[in-house]
Amino acid sequence: MILMLFLRTCRRFTALTLLSSCLTLAAHAEAARSVEHSLGEARITGQPQRIVTLYQGATDTALALGLEPVGVVESWLERPMYRYLRDRLPAGVRYLGLETQPDLEAVAGLAPDLVVGARYRHAAVYPLLSRIAPTVIADTAHDVEAMLELMGEATGREVEAQALLAEWRARVADFRCRAEARLGDAWPQRVSVVSFRGDHVRLYYDGFARSVLDQLGFLRPAGQQGSGWGIKLVSRETLPALDADAIFVFMRDDAAVAELHREWTAHPLWQSLDAVEQGRVYYVDPVIWSMGAGILAAHRLLDELYDHYELHDAVRQGEGRAC
Amino acid sequence: MLTTPSARLLGLMAGALLALAAGLASLALGATTIAPGTLVEAFLAPDPGSVQHLILRTERLPRALIAAVVGASLAVAGALMQTLTRNALAAPSILGINAGAMCFVVMASSVFALRSPLALAWVAFLGALVAALLVVLLGRGRDGGFSPLRVVLGGVAVTALFVALAQGLLIVDQEGFESLLLWLAGSVAGRGLEMVTPLLPFFLVAAGVCLLLVRQLNLLVLDDEVVKGLGQRTARVKLLAGAAVIVLAGGAVALAGMIGFVGLIVPHMVRALFGRDHRWVLPGCALLGAGLLLAADTLARFLMPPQEVPVGVMTALLGTPFFLYLARRRSLAP
Repeated sequence: MILMLFLRTCRRFTALTLLSSCLTLAAHAEAARSVEHSLGEARITGQPQRIVTLYQGATDTALALGLEPVGVVESWLERPMYRYLRDRLPAGVRYLGLETQPDLEAVAGLAPDLVVGARYRHAAVYPLLSRIAPTVIADTAHDVEAMLELMGEATGREVEAQALLAEWRARVADFRCRAEARLGDAWPQRVSVVSFRGDHVRLYYDGFARSVLDQLGFLRPAGQQGSGWGIKLVSRETLPALDADAIFVFMRDDAAVAELHREWTAHPLWQSLDAVEQGRVYYVDPVIWSMGAGILAAHRLLDELYDHYELHDAVRQGEGRAC
Repeated sequence: MLTTPSARLLGLMAGALLALAAGLASLALGATTIAPGTLVEAFLAPDPGSVQHLILRTERLPRALIAAVVGASLAVAGALMQTLTRNALAAPSILGINAGAMCFVVMASSVFALRSPLALAWVAFLGALVAALLVVLLGRGRDGGFSPLRVVLGGVAVTALFVALAQGLLIVDQEGFESLLLWLAGSVAGRGLEMVTPLLPFFLVAAGVCLLLVRQLNLLVLDDEVVKGLGQRTARVKLLAGAAVIVLAGGAVALAGMIGFVGLIVPHMVRALFGRDHRWVLPGCALLGAGLLLAADTLARFLMPPQEVPVGVMTALLGTPFFLYLARRRSLAP
């Protein structure tokens, strides 16, 4: 009898525990939201605080949103982090190795509540990453606006992200309008994006700089419609492939690069390029044009363009959209 | 196979014509086609204002010269090594000679910022020598003899070591040492005449040594005991031939980085055509090696312009079908 009473009490108690845990679960499920990304969806609760960014554009975007990532990957130049981002980076941030091979143990050790990667870099380690923490993967590493929206959604900061997006689009519109007014019939310009390397020259068809230039309304020369990131040139007789109304050139500060640049630009085929004859070869920052790949880098890229085209940068100077 | 001396002479002349045709194609064809008349004009009456003349002198001529010299050197070095080691698999790329030279050049140019072509050439010779000594050390059995298997294994190990060292540098600084890739992949493009001319004397001396050695080299193919019985001082011949290999392969690497295939396969092709007499094999190797690399480099410009296919890929693409044809017809032996 006593035993039966005891058992009944136990059963009642178990049922109660079950009920209460169900309630807790329901509460969690209510807070957790589903964020879709290029490799699936992530279940994220509230506003993640311990964020790990696994490529440069994600680090840039997180810092633009005022977030303080606990772990980031090392930069390619100006190690360990690009100068334009250093001031915004929290002091205790942990470096997790290279974008191409982040240290997964270190990622797990940080106990993050959000990991941000890019498909072309992290598709292979995504299954592991998503077991460490909710993980969102950007479709391409250079689509600034998509990254901003994904980061805003994943971190629960949609409002801030939309504000940044609006500010960026206002500036883009302002630049287009002013460039058109300044250049008249010469707008839109066909431009080349060129990088001098140690042993070859790269002509970009795609990538961060190219996508920002597209958004700004710049065009590509007829020969540069190919797919893929671009091409490598090794012989100076192929120099005419670079020709355009204007050429944006970036390169690292390095002896071998400087030597190659000197050899190529001294060649008469370089001298006879349209852009060179018109004095429209613009030397730009390699970090900003090919490394940063986030909204902060995009703004700096636009700063350089306002300078080179000698346009009045009304939006940045807080005058609103004056064009 | 060409058996009579006159047939072989005709064969050599045909080889020379092929190499010449490939050389002319290399000069005339590319991003812009240069007419034969302009070709002659550019050298007889150069016009400083003409872009075509300029392309010829600054781009195409050094390129053709490098391709010819490197192709000939690698093929001759391969033939010498196959004879010295009595091993059909011997070649500068297989036995680590190219990798040793490449690794030393890479260190010198990236870590010590060495730029002068002559200095780089000496560094390449040193690297080739170190690699050769390592292979000899690894390949020598307890009885003091060389087993073909040990030598090849030693060579593969040495190649792996030097390539790993060079790639290690790349990992240390992927952006900064990007120019190393040229040495690792091999290329005859993008270098001026001033890189080639200082090295030409070395190649000429090595070629002279080879010519002097052809008869003794024929004897080296025989058994060591037999050669000694004939009263030949094999040590000196081997040493000189070895020095020629180091200069030819090291110099080739200093000019164009690591280019495989030519050193291994061309000697086999030439022996399949001319037999095993070094009086024919060495000139044949020089002509066919030069012709192959020139043709490969010219075709490399046309597969996906304005980009270029790596020349090492093109040599294999061009050479392998021909090699397979020969291999099916004849037994291949050094």
